[in-house]
Amino acid sequence: MSLLPREGVEVASSLAAAVLTVGAALAMLALATSGVFGYFYADGLTRTMVITISSIYLTSVAYSVFYLKRIKEPLIRFRWYYSLLDLFVFTMLLAVTVNDLGFVWIAVEATTVTSALLVALERERTSVEAAWRYTLLVSAGLVASLLSVILVFYSQGTLTISVLLTRTAASDLVMAVAVGFALVGYGTKAGIAPMHAWLPDAHSEAPSPVSAMFSGILLPTSIYALLRTFVLLDGSPAFEAMRNLLIGFGVFTALLAAVIMGTQRNYKRMLAYSSMENMGIILVGFALGGVGAVGAVIQVVAHAFAKSSAFYEAGNILVAFNSKSMAAVQGVIGRLKVSGSLFTLSCLAVTGAPPFGVFIGEFLIISQAMQAGDFLVVVLLAVAYVYTFVGLNSQAIRMVFGQRPPLQEDGSAQPGLQKESWLSIAVPLVNLTVSLAIGLYMVPEISQAIAGAGL
Amino acid sequence: MAVVPTISADILGLLGIVILLSALYMQGQTFVDPTIRAISIQSFMLTTLFSVLFVQSGDLNLLYLAGVTAVVRGVLIPTVMLRQVQAFRHSLRETGTAQRIPSLVILGVIMVIGGYAVFRAVLLPILPNPLISVPFVLLLLGFLLIVTRRNALMQMTGFLEEENAVLFAGALIAPSIPLLIEFAVVLDILGVVLVGVLLSATRNVLQTLEAPDLEQLSG
Repeated sequence: MSLLPREGVEVASSLAAAVLTVGAALAMLALATSGVFGYFYADGLTRTMVITISSIYLTSVAYSVFYLKRIKEPLIRFRWYYSLLDLFVFTMLLAVTVNDLGFVWIAVEATTVTSALLVALERERTSVEAAWRYTLLVSAGLVASLLSVILVFYSQGTLTISVLLTRTAASDLVMAVAVGFALVGYGTKAGIAPMHAWLPDAHSEAPSPVSAMFSGILLPTSIYALLRTFVLLDGSPAFEAMRNLLIGFGVFTALLAAVIMGTQRNYKRMLAYSSMENMGIILVGFALGGVGAVGAVIQVVAHAFAKSSAFYEAGNILVAFNSKSMAAVQGVIGRLKVSGSLFTLSCLAVTGAPPFGVFIGEFLIISQAMQAGDFLVVVLLAVAYVYTFVGLNSQAIRMVFGQRPPLQEDGSAQPGLQKESWLSIAVPLVNLTVSLAIGLYMVPEISQAIAGAGL
Repeated sequence: MAVVPTISADILGLLGIVILLSALYMQGQTFVDPTIRAISIQSFMLTTLFSVLFVQSGDLNLLYLAGVTAVVRGVLIPTVMLRQVQAFRHSLRETGTAQRIPSLVILGVIMVIGGYAVFRAVLLPILPNPLISVPFVLLLLGFLLIVTRRNALMQMTGFLEEENAVLFAGALIAPSIPLLIEFAVVLDILGVVLVGVLLSATRNVLQTLEAPDLEQLSG
């Protein structure tokens, strides 16, 4: 429908599709849908992913209406943009609902094909270069996860997730190697270090609604795919070793992102590294299991809403200042009163400030690590947490409340084409509120975790 | 794996060696079009290999896979890529690589030897078929081609080589893997190539119009 060559149809059809998707996701949640449905499979994790993907889809389509006005020479027509956005979401939804590891791989790989042109939409040399790097690096990395699929089939004789989950733990070494390949492949797409090279480029060069979708839902979709292979080892002798491998990669990712974040000059790149840090911690949470896995699920959802809000606000700032440079963007609050405040709050939310949902997630993950006696993990995660919190928020506060520089004629800090509108404020505000509501709703989980960890 | 007739095993071994040599040939190329033709030839050799495996095992999946590989990877994708070369004659040759070619080929040979050693030590105990070492090494060579080149089409041939390696490995390890997945993989690769061609075309146009400003993509 979005492809119809009539003005306004593309937005209306994408919005309608997004609303229907959110409706279906809410119905899945209300009915607690689980089990096998033909080619599909659903459990609690599936439902969480579906509602998160659909919600960010809806808000990104809505925000696109505002943001796309700044793009004068797009790489593709806007009706193609909306169609690819729809297809991109379709592939992500397929990845988290299909009952076959082979099709999970195909869907994750298809997210690259459907989203590559979205990254390059602004048709600048940097955005096209970033899109190319994204396509090539992610596709090359995902080859490893295809090997993982082949090895699972070799070992188990089936790729059907519901069947694989009912089997007793797969104890052979082939499965352990399969998890290793899945980590490299899906880890590349999830921005797990050291396979993360594409992530900061694509996040910073994509239009803000696309950056929000990449950070909020694409990265967790890849972690979901990795998890579906990893859990097959649960209870086997190789599980402990692979679990430690995942924790190691997760901690390394969080620490590396925290360190690099402080050196950024581009605020969208800074947010991209924050996503990487969050994915590292989420991976650790899932690998730890127990309360840590609950924390990881909470963090996936809360981070998706908070980070999308931050990227929408970054879009508002870009529209108003026409620059992604932090040096050129100072005194945001003077020009964008609401967006400046919301950007500051969003940055606090994504870095785990209480009582936002990300804080609850990170708290539960660290509690689980403490409960399991992994004190080195606790210390390293705490270092990453503090470093990120201080690094990102101090830069954000400097941007929002810093001295406003005089406008220059060489292109930096020029006045933008548009100011904030009700739409550009309402969309991030809704997402930030959801992230806060998740945090407030999940507060009881903290007391349980404290009791469990013996704090 | 069932006991195979000696002649089939010999043919498979020979094809494996020729596929590796084609990968080393690509590693030694600075011109784009011979590299694309080489990946086409490599895909046809892979087709032959799948056909031999079909004769050996009677598994129809392998015959279908041979056909799809020949049409899509042997003909369709190289044709699309060669058209791209014709559209931008100025990027026919990879710039700045000629002096590095001898060292790149030596690096490729080292990777073949090192990759085989790693395969023997780590994977052979769990995948008891020495021929699987060929796709394993091919995967590494494909990756090497991607990281050592700057031309988009050269990098794409590296990606295709990687995918050839995985299909090769899949045919040896789990030939009965559902056919639908194999078809979807092939279509997916076609999608990646089409997106890649579109992006590389835009990249070429923008390179001629704009001053370098790629410093923004660092850090």
